[in-house]
Amino acid sequence: MRTLILSIFAVSLSATAVTAADDPVAARKLLMQSAAAAAGISGGMMKGDIDYNPAIAKSAIATLNAVSHTYGDYFPEGSSEGETTASPKIWEDGEGWQAALEKFQADTSAAAEASGKDGPADLAAFQQAVGPVLGNCKSCHENFRVQKN
Amino acid sequence: MRRLAFAAAAIAVAAGAGFWLLTGPDRLEASEIADVEAGDATRGETVFWAGGCASCHAAPGADGEARKELGGGLELATEFGTFVAPNISSHPEDGIGAWSEEDFLNAMMRGVSPDGRHYYPAFPYTSYARMDPQDVADLFAFMKTLPAVEGEAGEHKLGFPFNIRRGLGLWKALHLDSDHVLTLPANAPEELLRGRYLVEGPGHCGECHSPRDFSGGIKRDEWLAGAVSAEGDGVVPNITPGEGGIGSWSQSDIAYYLESGFTPDFDSVGGAMVSVQKNMAQLDDADRQAIAAYLKAVEARPDGFPSSR
Repeated sequence: MRTLILSIFAVSLSATAVTAADDPVAARKLLMQSAAAAAGISGGMMKGDIDYNPAIAKSAIATLNAVSHTYGDYFPEGSSEGETTASPKIWEDGEGWQAALEKFQADTSAAAEASGKDGPADLAAFQQAVGPVLGNCKSCHENFRVQKN
Repeated sequence: MRRLAFAAAAIAVAAGAGFWLLTGPDRLEASEIADVEAGDATRGETVFWAGGCASCHAAPGADGEARKELGGGLELATEFGTFVAPNISSHPEDGIGAWSEEDFLNAMMRGVSPDGRHYYPAFPYTSYARMDPQDVADLFAFMKTLPAVEGEAGEHKLGFPFNIRRGLGLWKALHLDSDHVLTLPANAPEELLRGRYLVEGPGHCGECHSPRDFSGGIKRDEWLAGAVSAEGDGVVPNITPGEGGIGSWSQSDIAYYLESGFTPDFDSVGGAMVSVQKNMAQLDDADRQAIAAYLKAVEARPDGFPSSR
């Protein structure tokens, strides 16, 4: 039984890996969608539309942290074609792109550290932690996404 | 034969004279600006952010206080050629520090330089022509308080016939129209009137968000319907309530987007709009609400760009 579960686990893992490797555009879109959802929860709490909850805040920060550290792996050469709004500048200005990724990672790492074991204690602490992270969305989309909104 | 040549020459001279007469700069009449009082720099700061000056005239990628250093240099590569934003800092030689208030009013509202040349409409005087001259004077007072930046930005790089500035006189005769686009009754809510002023005037939203005809004039019947980016990099979205537009956004969604840079589904602002949104974030919330009220009231239109984009 244990072997069966393990092998199912292994198969599903490898299936995911194959999908991501075959279709980096789909993979990076899924990652960006989860980042948008985490930003949505964060913004909702900061606007007062959602009551502040440290566990939810921690989850949002953890999502953004996971995205920032994986997202950059899904932009191989040649993946600027097809249903994507990735800007050619990602490949033309590799250094600038790398710097933007590293800033995103540094900011999410700091937020994850600040959120601690139980999440940021109150809304003010959460705002302070997540604010710099959310600034990365537009600074990166300013240069590395083709215009759409 | 000699008579024919003479007639041809006469026609050419007459055509040339006609062109010259039709294309001369049209400055503001003294009566149009007689009521303008000395500019107020504090009020002018609001006009500065509403007008988006920093987006083209600050150094590309500038942030924070550096957005008040207006040395120019941003290049707009369009199908007409490449326009280079000039230095409009308070530097007396390289910028506009030596200009009079009247010079500035004529530049903003008529697209005419102090020495009587036409400006290219990459400088959106077509929208600024709808501004209250007092706001323009206040803006000038504010800009005088900003740092002097040394160095001239480069020249525009344009091919024939777009490199003939005088020809812009004809373009202006066709396209410089300071009438409102959205007709509103005089007793319309104050917020909506303010929103129309901000969007159609200083905010110059229609300059990028509306498609243009072959001669570069805005298609008024597709106002704010979105357009292929002038720089050919993606699309500028439809911001009417029509199909493909932002009809599902509430007034507060639009105001929040302008403040925070996040759409209702928490996608973020991108491209050239990032800099515009930073400007909008500097306004009072009442002004963002007014812009949003206008965008809810404007006529719904389908996308003004091909769906394949």
